[in-house]
Amino acid sequence: MENVATDENWKTCFSQLAPGLLLFARQWAKSTADAEDIVQEAFVRFWRKQHDIANRGLLYATVRSIALDFLRRDSRRARRESTAVSEMDQTVQPLFEIEDESQRALVASLDLLPNEQREVLVMKIWNELTFAEIASVLEISQNTAASRYRYALAALKKHLPSV
Amino acid sequence: MNDFSEIENKLRKLRPVQPSADLVARVERALAQERSTSTAGVLPRERRFHFNWLSLGLGLAAAAALVLFTRVQLERPAKKTPTLASITPPPQFSSPNSTAQLVPAGLTQVVYHSRDEGVHFPNNSEQPMRRVRSHTRETLRWRNPTTGASLRISYPSEEVSLVPVTGQ
Repeated sequence: MENVATDENWKTCFSQLAPGLLLFARQWAKSTADAEDIVQEAFVRFWRKQHDIANRGLLYATVRSIALDFLRRDSRRARRESTAVSEMDQTVQPLFEIEDESQRALVASLDLLPNEQREVLVMKIWNELTFAEIASVLEISQNTAASRYRYALAALKKHLPSV
Repeated sequence: MNDFSEIENKLRKLRPVQPSADLVARVERALAQERSTSTAGVLPRERRFHFNWLSLGLGLAAAAALVLFTRVQLERPAKKTPTLASITPPPQFSSPNSTAQLVPAGLTQVVYHSRDEGVHFPNNSEQPMRRVRSHTRETLRWRNPTTGASLRISYPSEEVSLVPVTGQ
């Protein structure tokens, strides 16, 4: 699809989407630095291929593809270097800017979700993708995407009875 | 689902961490680098042209290689002859027109099939003769020495030879 967006459009687009993209990539990356590498590679690749700037589903699919490749490489590297990993490397870096304990508990509950539910939730809540777009990213049906979303919310509600 | 509206609101209040300034700078730098190799202000459409030219170049190279290969094969028919072949020096027959630009360049005769038809006594001769029938293909070639143009005529022929039988 031909794209006539200017560089400023792309920069604006990136500044708006970057936090959500980063959060999306963090599902597969252990560190923020790795997630940023994934997002950078995905965004530049998406831009280079002249995709429509409005085609967010394809952008997230690109992030996901690169993240999964990264995860495979990282797993192999981790196996090779398992003896050299220090405690500091395993420190969990925050995904959210947490303001209070209730948010901390909510984030902790998010970590308990199955990956397939969490990625739908991340795309829906913090990236505002439609179920159609989510379905195209994950190559599943819209109904499946919506179901996973509902299951995720139900699980969170169960983990947080006060909600 | 309205049942989940409250938890959805709580989730939306969670703010993902912002990307580092370094990431933004890296992306902007990457976009600028890509743009510097293409037209200014818009996406690098020329990249498609680079790819097309590359394909065209590869296609032309392949075609040239094929032409050269075919030419070499045509220039050396004798190497592919299965049985007998002979290449004569350029025939000395005179051209009907001495000013003609094409001059004889060679004659190639390839025997691709030969059959022994047994012993015969031709013309009531007492001397037995073995009759051998050969199928050949003869190729005459002319070449223009100034332009390098060439002309070749190829035709099948059949030859019957009688070989005296001795020692029987």
